[in-house]
Amino acid sequence: MSTQILIPFFITAVFLVAAGITLAYMLSPKSFNLQKQEPYECGIPTVGVTWLQFNVGYYTFALLFLIFDVETVFLFPWAVVMKQIGLVGLVEILIFFFILVLGLAYAWKKHALVWQ
Amino acid sequence: MGKPIRITLKQANDMMGGLALQDFLVVSTSMFFIGIFGFLTRRNLITILMSVELILNSVNINFVAFNYFLHPEAMHGIFFAIFVIAVAAAEAAVAIAIIINIYRRFKSINIENVSEMKY
Amino acid sequence: MLLQYLSLMRQEVSLIFIAVLVLICELTVNQRYKKVVIPITLVLFGVHTILGFVPFDGGKLFGGMFATSHAQALMKSVLNVGVFIILLQSVAWLKKEVNFQKSNEFLILLFSTLTGMYFMISSGDFLMFYIGLEIASIPMAMLAAFDTFRSKSSEAGIKFLLNSALSSGILLFGISLFYAISGTIYFDDLPLYFSPVSPLFALGFIFFISGLAFKMSLVPFHLWTADVYEGSPTIVTSYFSVISKGAAAFITSILLFKVFFNQLYLWKDIIYLLSVLTMTVGNLFALRQTNIKRFLAFSSISQAGFILLGLVNVDSLGVTAIIYFILIYILSNLSAFGVVMAIANVTGKEEIKDYNGLYKTNPLLSLTMMLAMFSLAGIPPTAGFFSKFFLFTDAAKGGYYWLVFIAVLNTIISLYYYLLVVKAMFISPNEQPIERFRSDIYTRTALLITVVGIFAVGIYSPIFEYIRNIIDKF
Repeated sequence: MSTQILIPFFITAVFLVAAGITLAYMLSPKSFNLQKQEPYECGIPTVGVTWLQFNVGYYTFALLFLIFDVETVFLFPWAVVMKQIGLVGLVEILIFFFILVLGLAYAWKKHALVWQ
Repeated sequence: MGKPIRITLKQANDMMGGLALQDFLVVSTSMFFIGIFGFLTRRNLITILMSVELILNSVNINFVAFNYFLHPEAMHGIFFAIFVIAVAAAEAAVAIAIIINIYRRFKSINIENVSEMKY
Repeated sequence: MLLQYLSLMRQEVSLIFIAVLVLICELTVNQRYKKVVIPITLVLFGVHTILGFVPFDGGKLFGGMFATSHAQALMKSVLNVGVFIILLQSVAWLKKEVNFQKSNEFLILLFSTLTGMYFMISSGDFLMFYIGLEIASIPMAMLAAFDTFRSKSSEAGIKFLLNSALSSGILLFGISLFYAISGTIYFDDLPLYFSPVSPLFALGFIFFISGLAFKMSLVPFHLWTADVYEGSPTIVTSYFSVISKGAAAFITSILLFKVFFNQLYLWKDIIYLLSVLTMTVGNLFALRQTNIKRFLAFSSISQAGFILLGLVNVDSLGVTAIIYFILIYILSNLSAFGVVMAIANVTGKEEIKDYNGLYKTNPLLSLTMMLAMFSLAGIPPTAGFFSKFFLFTDAAKGGYYWLVFIAVLNTIISLYYYLLVVKAMFISPNEQPIERFRSDIYTRTALLITVVGIFAVGIYSPIFEYIRNIIDKF
């Protein structure tokens, strides 16, 4: 098995995509009008500038999500060897969770989870 | 439902094709020095942070490549990479929090403006 | 099994316990009783410090990731002493209204960084070392940016964080090259794989030592230091300059002596050069500073150069001299910072010229500051003389006479600028000197401890012998 086996896959993929686009182009009904040139924003014309800055509140959630999301990466190595290391591993992972939960509780207490 | 697909190390090796350790090292070393260059020349705090992340990721590539090609008997390199990822996330979180605070104080995140202290 | 964990990791476990306790207090305790948390933490940490001196046998945990011994426990205890004094000094600052609402966070972050340093000192492989380093430096950036209402503080925080991230990236690149050579990351196995002459090792070592030099703020990697020291809250500056620098020096000595001892020919010259540059450049920049915090920052850079003197000669006297030096450096620098902080808390003044005529209004504070300056410069009756003396002896024993000569010259230069501060307080006239004030009981206790320490540690020789005995066993 080498890279050559990937070539049929690649050709098939290109063919499928090309076929989809061509078929849609040939089969679909066509109509041209000015409104189709507008950028699509929920069906109504845009009001004001579209380059808005996002509310800073999003970042708090993003940061919290980032931290807790990345911490889960440590669960996978533990899960793989869970049976071999037994109770010690379980206690260690519980301590890990306890500290994580404390962090979440802190964020809760400080109203970081409330949308302002 | 078919059986889950399992790839042995041998098969993975075959799929890697002609790639050798040198190829990975070229990528990781370029990333490292692009990161250093960006850190020194960029003027936007977020871009500087991205440069630092580039450096850390180049180290990850290094670790995983060395683990795979030179020392496949143990998994030290892969574990190092996992921990570097987690630490980099924590670092980014703290950095972004401080940068938001800087934006509130200075109304800018350009380092030309964010410098009250100089030699 | 559990007992073994607890006995080997007792310092780490008790410190994390205190930190978690403070966090639980923050979550549950009513705002009215928040005042109680600080004294309770102080008492707990005091007990923790004293228990740290109780000898326990060393050992290894987690398959060799975590290693501890009497020497490493002693290093942690030295840091504990410093942190205890800093906690005492911080009470007055924490009780101010702007800081009081986040006083618990300050304690938690402080303990987190200290935990990181513990794990760094006790690391048995590069992974634990790296994790410890990051646990130590990420909360430190938050501490530097602690005054969220001050723009300088945020600036200091981001400068520290980006610089430390860059330096750990460089350090990691070095570690990855070591891993490529050896296939292991354990300190015990690594020396077996390092051949005497290997270009790849040399490359990795250059990266590695640059990363460490960033953390220790050695010249030419010192550029972040002054800005971070000036911008951070004063209490955090004192933490940066003594505890974080001390921990970095400890781990450098452990790594050089335990892992890289076969490559002495390689790092001897690097350390030599870094030491000369750090002492000289730190001194020359300190001469022209007008802000007292920046002044102390540069003086601490030049002190780091002296620490390196103990590394050029691989023997137990070197490590003993380093630990002894850092203990005394902690006491003297914290006494200087204690005075700066007491004055900044009351008046907010941080320029050296504001100290003109301080002796007339606040004689005790001026005398304490004078003692601290004498000890930092190394004038005989104070402990600073003895600590420098042992470092010089060690370097001279290894035959580095030129290095000792340069160090002595630098001591004389440093004497000039330390005496400038003393002159400002005692001789320079001032029409509006700082008003007479009385600081609170915690600050006074902390200053008393440092003053007693500056005299006692130098004159009372069993302390040096005690450290020496422990290191010899190690």
